[in-house]
Amino acid sequence: MSAAGTGNLTDASRKHSKLTEAEAIDRAKQGDADAFETLYNLHKRRVYSLCLRMTANTAAAEDLTQEAFLQLFRKIATFRGESAFSTWLHRMAVNVVLMQLRKKGLALVPLDETVESEEESPRKEPGADDMRLAGSLDRIQLNHAIGELPPGYRTIFLLHDVEGYEHNEIADMVGCSIGNSKSQLHKARMKLRELLKTSRAEKATKP
Amino acid sequence: MTCEEFQRVLPELEGGHNFEQEQHLKTCSRCSELISDLSAISQQARLIGATTEEPSPRVWNSIEITLRQEGLIHEPSPVAGRARVTSWRLSWLVPALAALLVVFGVVLHRPGKQPSRSAMSSPPVVKAVEEPGPELATLADEEQLLGMVAARAPALRADYESDLRAVDEYIRDAERSARSNPNDELAQQYLMNAYEQRAMVYEMAMDRTLP
Repeated sequence: MSAAGTGNLTDASRKHSKLTEAEAIDRAKQGDADAFETLYNLHKRRVYSLCLRMTANTAAAEDLTQEAFLQLFRKIATFRGESAFSTWLHRMAVNVVLMQLRKKGLALVPLDETVESEEESPRKEPGADDMRLAGSLDRIQLNHAIGELPPGYRTIFLLHDVEGYEHNEIADMVGCSIGNSKSQLHKARMKLRELLKTSRAEKATKP
Repeated sequence: MTCEEFQRVLPELEGGHNFEQEQHLKTCSRCSELISDLSAISQQARLIGATTEEPSPRVWNSIEITLRQEGLIHEPSPVAGRARVTSWRLSWLVPALAALLVVFGVVLHRPGKQPSRSAMSSPPVVKAVEEPGPELATLADEEQLLGMVAARAPALRADYESDLRAVDEYIRDAERSARSNPNDELAQQYLMNAYEQRAMVYEMAMDRTLP
């Protein structure tokens, strides 16, 4: 599926906003409504996508997007520019989502790596499987499979493989060890592999 | 090195294998395929990060209301404070058009439901799913919209034309995917998002052209 519809709209919004990001930040600190809206339009897609992938629920993702931006705008006066604004916002969005997941009691990451539930531990690899994923995997299939991951695996996978955080950053955000983060990432990938192959096998057997 | 030994250390391997691991991969097709699959998953995941969804307009509306209630917005924006004189032809068109696009998308692409001929032909601004390209009526509407933009803000016409072409392509991709996977809720959601994006382009264009 083409992402053309989303990318060009971002460029158009940027051009039409009449404010650069730096100008918008300065004006937002003074309470300028247009400036807030400019900052929102510049970053809404990335924040929303992150929330959507981590919750797999559009209503929850919209609520979390709203909360992330509100927290950002409430604290914008404290932004000094030591890091990129987008990095600051992104980190805030991740924290908002993680807090929400904790509130719901969803086990983000098992603290004890040696304890695995039946549901969480990926099925052991069977004999030779002739359905290679490389070269035939697309984003829609992968998105679907990510939605079926247990919350803990999904969080680590999204933060590392999709959002690009390093294990030490993930460990800090999620509150686990670096080793745990690596282990959970590997399990997430293995689980995704299993889900993708199962889905492929089911489609192959359908009339 | 056995397969079990190799797979035990896999979580710690990021982009590099030692000699013994390399030798095992050369001789073991199963572990080699596993590495290949995990790598494909990781690479495709990076591309997912590059594609983005968009929240509905109600998110910004809620944010703005809250910011005003909390006093974080001090000055009225020049755009919001400006009195708008809207022509009767235009003031109802934007929300009606957006609603038509979204509702028609829901009616047309409900799982298992086949669109009737009358449903496909009556709303002139929405493309029929079965047809591969945009209907003439849609193109005519887009030309009219671009004409209005050009009349008010000539410098913006090219940008909006580019946006409309991009979102039409997005809709075509999403329709193709929905046709191939009629029971796939994600494909349906993508299609809804595509229609909403077109509605938003119209809304933005109308907003800019209103005096």
